Amino acid sequence: MAEDDSEWVVESIVGYLGSPEWLIPVTDFMENKCTVFDDEDENKLSYTEIHESYKSLVEKLLENYMQEVGINEEQFLDACTSPFAKSKTLQAVFQPVLATDDFEVFRSLMVQKNMELQLQALRVIKERNGALPECLTDGVDVMTELQQQEMKILQEVLKRSKEEYDQELSRRLLEEDFGATSSSRSLRKLTTEGEESQITTSTPSQHNDGAKAKDVQSISSCSNGHHASLVNGNTLPQTKLVSPVRDEVMEMTTTTGSGVLSSFSLKPTSECISNGAAEPTVLPAVRPIQPTINSQAAAKAWLEEAHREAGFSKPYTELSESQQEQLQQRAAYLRQQRDKLHALKKEQQKTKYTAKPEEAPPTTTTTNTTTTPTQDISAEEKKKLQKRKHLAEKLKEEVIKK
Amino acid sequence: MGEAQKGLLSVIEKLKGTTEQEVRIVLLGLDNAGKTTLLKSLASEDVNTITPTQGFNIKSVASHGMKLNVWDIGGQRKIRPFWKKYLEKTDLLIYVIDSADKKRFEETGLELSELIDEENLKGVPVLIFANKQDLATASPASEIAEGLNLHTYRDREWQIQACSAVSGEGVQDGMNWICNNIVNKKKKK
Repeated sequence: MAEDDSEWVVESIVGYLGSPEWLIPVTDFMENKCTVFDDEDENKLSYTEIHESYKSLVEKLLENYMQEVGINEEQFLDACTSPFAKSKTLQAVFQPVLATDDFEVFRSLMVQKNMELQLQALRVIKERNGALPECLTDGVDVMTELQQQEMKILQEVLKRSKEEYDQELSRRLLEEDFGATSSSRSLRKLTTEGEESQITTSTPSQHNDGAKAKDVQSISSCSNGHHASLVNGNTLPQTKLVSPVRDEVMEMTTTTGSGVLSSFSLKPTSECISNGAAEPTVLPAVRPIQPTINSQAAAKAWLEEAHREAGFSKPYTELSESQQEQLQQRAAYLRQQRDKLHALKKEQQKTKYTAKPEEAPPTTTTTNTTTTPTQDISAEEKKKLQKRKHLAEKLKEEVIKK
Repeated sequence: MGEAQKGLLSVIEKLKGTTEQEVRIVLLGLDNAGKTTLLKSLASEDVNTITPTQGFNIKSVASHGMKLNVWDIGGQRKIRPFWKKYLEKTDLLIYVIDSADKKRFEETGLELSELIDEENLKGVPVLIFANKQDLATASPASEIAEGLNLHTYRDREWQIQACSAVSGEGVQDGMNWICNNIVNKKKKK
């Protein structure tokens, strides 16, 4: 083929590549698809798809052109490889064609197009507004500012999630690893609470003579039930842990009970020494109720006590029927009370023998603490004693008033 | 029509007019096998800042007077269906295996056998890199070759090469095999 021929073909091709017939579809394609092309090192999978569709577009355009002009592929190739086409000016024109075969050429074209569009957009904004908005004046700074903001948000999010995680972790640790200790702790707390509530509720109960003892009783039984359920729900070592606390509570109920009892015997004592404001501490009031007392003797004693407590100086038989009934009721109640105490003590002893066998029998302990505050009494115990004294005094007052 | 299109593309291919022989190599393998590390190692780039590939990377390496265009495509399961879009006109397949990931030997074997059956890779030589040999738990290349039944490959040249993309050990040996093989193959053409 002649040189002129290929020259003519080259000119024709270059002409075509500069014509709207070629430029418009190709530019349209690039402008539409270039936005995903950034200058990251890694390529997106979508680039390949875009490249594929670009290939088919260019092929179609060139096919149409060659058919129109009437040249075949060989002529086209010869023309393109001729020295004339290899000149630098024409190389640039051929770039979009080469891009079909070379992905990296295509990619660089698309990245370039994307940047061109961005610059164009900036120019348009500038033309419209006279000046670029502050956020667009320095691209690099804007980017870093945005990135910094994003980083701040991200760091905050990370910090919070870490905090949450730590909380969750520590909670789980508490639940799992220290489950035993924490539960026993809460148990102790519960029992102390029970103790406190007992003290506080028994104080107002003194206003009503009838309700008073009943209250104490119900509380003690209630707190007993409470303990029992707790103890049952826990393992053996925990029972041991609880039992001293429980003993204390029991002791309290016992002493409160005997306090009540002592108040019953207050009247005759005060009568004896003819001192209306007898101090409860010096009272011989606390007559330890021996568990060995048989029920008949006990009944007699209760009756007598009730009798005296009620302030009836005459012997039981000389009293009126209503008085007798009253006394009998009282006696029955006291008997009930005694039985309760008895049962309590029995249980107490049982637990004491398993947990603290060295401790003295509860009865004597109770008596000792109320009558002669011996040994090393802690401040707490003193407080308890004071409360008991107060209770006894109140009871005494009430009884005397009667 | 289809014929004509292919012809046109081949015409455009020749348009580049480079005297250098170009070789298209596709680098495949499971995720975390070390493909991108190997690619960067080939291109003498930093291998310490590599993250899992979501798309693909291309590097051109000059070796033995040839221009090797190496395509490294992400190996995550969700990307694997895209592999076959990159196999066209491939001169050589490099398949990378994490030699220490014994649990996935079966999976990597399945992926390789599927590739071997691809029409576009018919007769294409395969170089298998038994990567991560720097790890104490790595299986030897011979063991992996046996597991993959490489000896049953009759329709193509194949080679298994123990290497560590991190240290670079064995990588050059593999590349030498590639160049020798390609030269032979192209000469035959």
